[in-house]
Amino acid sequence: MKRISLKWPLIALSSTFAFILFVVPLYGAAAYSFKGNGGKGHSFANYQWLIHADGFYPSLFTSLKLAVLAGVLNLLLMVPTMVYLNLKGQKFKPLVDFLCILPLIIPVVSLAIGAQVAMPEFLQNTEYELVFFFVIIALPYTYRALDTSLQTVALKTLVEASRSLGASWTRTIIRVIVPAIRSGITGALFLTFALSIGEYTITSLLHWETFPTWTVVAAQQNILGAIAISVFSFVGAIVLLTAIALFSKKRVQQVEVEA
Amino acid sequence: MLPLLPFFIFTGFFLIWPVIAVTLRSLHGNKNEWTFANYRPILKAGPYFHAFVVSLKLSIMTAVIGSILGAFFAYVIVKYARGKFGAVIDSISAVFANSGGVPLAFMFIAAFGTEGVVTVVLKKLGWDIYAGHFTIFSFTGVVLVYSFFQIPLMVLVFKPAIAGLRSEWEEASTNLGASQLTYWRRVAIPILTPSFIGAFFLLFAGGFSAYATARALTVGTVPLVPIIIGTLVDGNVVSDQANLGDALAVGMIVVATVAMAGYIWAQRQAAKWRSS
Amino acid sequence: MRKRLLTGVIAATMAAASMVATTSAHAATIDYSKCANLTACGGMDALVKAAQKEGKLNVITLPRDWANYGEAMDLFTKAFGIKITDDNPDGSSAYEIQTVKTAPASKVPDAVDVGITYALDNTNLFTSYKVANWNDIPATYKDAAGRWYGDYAGVIALSYDTSIAKAPKSFNDLKDPAFKNMVAIGGDPSGAQEALMSVFAANLANGGATSNVQKGIDYFSAMKTSGNFVTALANGQNFLAGAYKVSFSWSFNGPGAVATAAKAGKTVKYVIPSDAVIKGTPYIMAIPFNAPHPAAARLWTEFLYSENKGKGSMDLGSTKGMTGSKIFAAINGGQNIWIAGGALPIEYDAMVAKKTNATAPAGYEIPAGAKIVTPSVADQDAAKLLLKAQWPAIAGN
Repeated sequence: MKRISLKWPLIALSSTFAFILFVVPLYGAAAYSFKGNGGKGHSFANYQWLIHADGFYPSLFTSLKLAVLAGVLNLLLMVPTMVYLNLKGQKFKPLVDFLCILPLIIPVVSLAIGAQVAMPEFLQNTEYELVFFFVIIALPYTYRALDTSLQTVALKTLVEASRSLGASWTRTIIRVIVPAIRSGITGALFLTFALSIGEYTITSLLHWETFPTWTVVAAQQNILGAIAISVFSFVGAIVLLTAIALFSKKRVQQVEVEA
Repeated sequence: MLPLLPFFIFTGFFLIWPVIAVTLRSLHGNKNEWTFANYRPILKAGPYFHAFVVSLKLSIMTAVIGSILGAFFAYVIVKYARGKFGAVIDSISAVFANSGGVPLAFMFIAAFGTEGVVTVVLKKLGWDIYAGHFTIFSFTGVVLVYSFFQIPLMVLVFKPAIAGLRSEWEEASTNLGASQLTYWRRVAIPILTPSFIGAFFLLFAGGFSAYATARALTVGTVPLVPIIIGTLVDGNVVSDQANLGDALAVGMIVVATVAMAGYIWAQRQAAKWRSS
Repeated sequence: MRKRLLTGVIAATMAAASMVATTSAHAATIDYSKCANLTACGGMDALVKAAQKEGKLNVITLPRDWANYGEAMDLFTKAFGIKITDDNPDGSSAYEIQTVKTAPASKVPDAVDVGITYALDNTNLFTSYKVANWNDIPATYKDAAGRWYGDYAGVIALSYDTSIAKAPKSFNDLKDPAFKNMVAIGGDPSGAQEALMSVFAANLANGGATSNVQKGIDYFSAMKTSGNFVTALANGQNFLAGAYKVSFSWSFNGPGAVATAAKAGKTVKYVIPSDAVIKGTPYIMAIPFNAPHPAAARLWTEFLYSENKGKGSMDLGSTKGMTGSKIFAAINGGQNIWIAGGALPIEYDAMVAKKTNATAPAGYEIPAGAKIVTPSVADQDAAKLLLKAQWPAIAGN
């Protein structure tokens, strides 16, 4: 029996769909951002305005810094947790799962107000407090991405093999598990990073200036500029994440070859 | 248990503590007295109860659409988009899954609004999508816009499950004479089901609590619980019951807990099905 | 070596201590977090000096094109060299109060500008300070102890894209099929003040009393059925994308909105509807008792309530070496800055009598003979309850 290849019909169908749902709206917005001064002609005027605006680089830098920290902290906290849950702590899974879904359910406004009431003053005086809340609101995605990934590998076998060869837990996680669940880790890291870099509500309620809160102020006098900002944020984040992905892939492959 | 300690300490401090603060406030009246009064408007038929119904309808619909289409996309991507292109797709999915609010609403208005790119092109082709009842500023419009982040979210969280399907399994089942359909029915779908249910639940919860986009797209004409909470907590018009917003937030947590119970039950059933 | 270093440190510490001693001895005469009027604060020269020493002012939720606040902030900074931080310019009154209550000390706003109910509910958060022009503020809109007072109000206007075939003049005009898919509102009226007042205006235009906005809701409901009312959010971006052509807005947002739209290539015009003139209750100014820059807070308030006609931020030269009172007398006062922005400042009547008012921008004139109506706080509460139940239904879901 010869199998019918569905390759091209599937690709054609999904591309068409993706084009209408994702590309067209992005194009719709981008078209406005390339309008010239006074809405006439085409130019990069709005983007030039953006990168020369006061506060563009400092706020962008703050956001990148916080997003990187949140991504790292998130993995440090969640990778060991999820490995343990899938290995030995099955009975805690529903509880952890629920805790991880909570940040999605609690309205961010309520969480931010609760945070202002509950957090100690020294923490509220540093912008790094945001890192913790970015990690919290990324939990639903991290949990799911890592869990799905872990369920597809023969975790027990991997761990037993590694441990019986004398590897420590840390080494087992870094050298054996992490490469095995790479797709989950990338997913978790990307979601945390993208979420942190675009987070607005908590940041603004806790009175910090990051890129998203800065843009709201900057956009006030320039509607076309405001649109340029959202297009810039979209495309910039995609380019940045792709670069990280390609770079880390190379690194992981190197590690694998060395090992 | 010990290895879970960091997680419990972290969530306890940064998540549970604020939630307790909100719950306690919901049980207090305007004069700081203990009361259950904030919950009464939610429990009887009226605008608040109605908002819960609309929110549920929206989140279930967008989760169904998002999970099915997202799973389809994830499959196509895993199967045909490898290497660098795969990395680009991951990045795009992560960014789209986190989009929302005024920028997202604007993108769809620019495309499907009364003077949007798509609307204009279709009109030239002889189809005026605004001739009937459709507008982008309606429930249907909100469902459409939500797909923009629900589908990529599904792709991102479901892709690892599809990637975990080994090609050897398919080969083995083919060698044993099974058709593609049988392979899917007996092997792939049972393996994917728990992850699918988990991802569906995530989409449901996300759709239930998202509000910035709906708020930017409508003017309170699609009443959603989180929008009402935002209005109460953050509005420019003072509310008669200051802590009603907290009660609504607790109501959302309750709804989510019920959904969570259903989700755990479904996971168990799937696990049973898989092992039988 | 070590000993010498130590002596050096001691010497430095002593020097620093003696400096603190002298400055605090000087400032001890005036506690800027307590002084309740300009005289008690040592007069304008001393107040400006103290404010400049603080060097900073925290304001909160002031959009630049709202009531001409952009110009007020620019002028203040340029004249006195005090840096202004504007926290969350898109935020709400609730956010301002929340911040006063819970923010860490350095982030508390030095002055708030909130809806009247917020001021009445939170008097204990504010400190007493009576501005020099205290007597020009009508008694209805000030706290006898000086903890809060009204600052400016606006009138609901129609704003429209001049490219449309017919220029609207009234709420009634908008019922015309020519406005199909064109009319939008700036938010959920049960949550946004501007939208709430728009419903009051529609209600008034259709013969409703302020105690019951049913006729206003019916107006929007009928407009939705006829397809004229689109439930799009009226904001700059959506307007640019052609989502709507006509909306309702405070008159004091007009000049800013017109300029912003022009930059994006759209011509917008404001007109006060001929069939309804709704004037909002004034917004309220107050200084939180825990303001981190108390002198700057008082100077900012004096500046906003000044009736001066002077220089704007564009034509003010260097103020270096000038005394505080000289600078203050040279620049535009906040009351006139508000007038230039299309707002009705609280001291307006007194200014007209003294002829100190600047010319208001053209096109915002209230139609002759129109009756100006202001819904009371109780009316607004009743309207919100009604809207909460009925508003979502007008979209038919």
